[in-house]
Amino acid sequence: MPFKKFEEKIFKGIMYISFSLLALSLFSIIVVVFVKGLGSLSFKMLFSVPKGGYYLGKEGGILNAILGSIAIGTIATALSFLYAFCIVFYINVYRFSKSKFSRIVRFFLDILWGIPSIVYGAFGFGIMLLFKIPASLLAGALTLSFVILPIMARTMDETLRMIPFEMKQAAYSLGATRFEISYKVIIKQAFPGLLTAVLLAFGRGIGDAASIIMTASYTDSIPTSLLRPVATLPLCVFFQLSTPFKEVQERGYAAAFVLTMLMLLVSLLARLSFRSFSKYVVK
Amino acid sequence: MGAKEPIKIQNLSVSYGNQKVLKEINLEIPEKGITVILGPSGCGKSTLLKCFNRIIELEENVKVDGKLFVDGEDILHPKTDLIVLRKKMGLLLQKPQVLPMSIYENVAFGAKIHKKMKKSEIDALVERELKKVNLWDEVKDRLKSPADKLSIGQQQRLCLARGLAVEPEIILGDEPTSALDPLSAEVIEKQFLKLKENYTIILVTHMLRQAKRLADYVAFIYLGELVEFNSAPQFFENPKDERTKKYLSGLIAG
Repeated sequence: MPFKKFEEKIFKGIMYISFSLLALSLFSIIVVVFVKGLGSLSFKMLFSVPKGGYYLGKEGGILNAILGSIAIGTIATALSFLYAFCIVFYINVYRFSKSKFSRIVRFFLDILWGIPSIVYGAFGFGIMLLFKIPASLLAGALTLSFVILPIMARTMDETLRMIPFEMKQAAYSLGATRFEISYKVIIKQAFPGLLTAVLLAFGRGIGDAASIIMTASYTDSIPTSLLRPVATLPLCVFFQLSTPFKEVQERGYAAAFVLTMLMLLVSLLARLSFRSFSKYVVK
Repeated sequence: MGAKEPIKIQNLSVSYGNQKVLKEINLEIPEKGITVILGPSGCGKSTLLKCFNRIIELEENVKVDGKLFVDGEDILHPKTDLIVLRKKMGLLLQKPQVLPMSIYENVAFGAKIHKKMKKSEIDALVERELKKVNLWDEVKDRLKSPADKLSIGQQQRLCLARGLAVEPEIILGDEPTSALDPLSAEVIEKQFLKLKENYTIILVTHMLRQAKRLADYVAFIYLGELVEFNSAPQFFENPKDERTKKYLSGLIAG
């Protein structure tokens, strides 16, 4: 066999293997979590809060954690969106994308991205002690928003950088201002990418445990106030898996399954809405 | 319509970082008619064109020196209102660049920015401008569909219509036909010949034959210098500079 063909075959082979590993890991995670949690999965579990002795195996559900995760994830995503949006539009529209300033901002974001979320948690906790803020939904969401900010900002940034320079030239030469170009042209062109960034950050947010363990604490009741502690699914999984009781551990897996499905649902809904949003995108 | 007086360029120099792209250009572009800026690739002609509406400033590390008078005003002055300036000029890029919106919205985009308009006025404007560029019949049934779906030749005509909709005095073309198939290119060229009655058209090209077909005046730029400027018949029949003669006889590659 000629070498070139051989080479081709090898690389194709490697690609198939990596794809299989990828598919396998996704499916095995979902299957394992599902099978291990199956015994505890019920509608009752989804729609009730823990009763007394829940963590010892008595009655109750994880509604507190489901609602808490959605609340903390949504608030954190919204907060960091406001921030990330301003940053990336500033460094890409108001400054030259490749300017020194923009590169420094990107560098900072990359460093922030690399900081472990437990460090953000410790940082948030330190600030809370300083200002005597109790562990709460607000404190947790604020801390979490810092964790997901670099992810969202850098993903948005990559999208904005892909916008053809000629498109900006064309819009400017019609006499549009930077602001008009931002919200009438760039947002439309970048919309799918911006949405992906938000989802990615949201997914990372509701999955994170380390940054909120000290800042948001945990509670058995559903979230009603920004200033009260809030339950979250990752911590719900953690607490239940770390008990010595089999049936409680099973509930932990069930909660993990719910968390995974929640993420899948959000991504799927977003993908479905993509088509209508990207109708006018210039390829 | 059309510039009220000639565009005057005085001692215009442009550099990217340390590299001087245009050197001390002095030129007077007559109002109305087509002025072709001719020269081989990379000689600085696009750079010159982008000075007229100052979108050259969108690029980094650009330094522009000198004076450029449009309607008697030095537009390189820092206090120039760029919005007003850019409204005066329509720009066609080498590769047609439609905006991420419908055909209808593309045409209306610039006009809507500058003036508050009623729906019926916008409808009329879109129809009028699309008719000017012979695109109306091809798209009148799908004005709401994405502009990106049009063929590249149609896209360039759409870009022309979009530019005309802001009622410019001057049309700038940066090799606007070089990405198009011959038929679409011919359509665009015909538009230019029609439009030159009312507009000042400045057209950058490296295609000698296109220059011969369209030009009323020719400015020949070579290695960042203005070599020769003359009316088209004079320029082609009776070139004065050695470099022009060489270029016209094909000794300088385009």
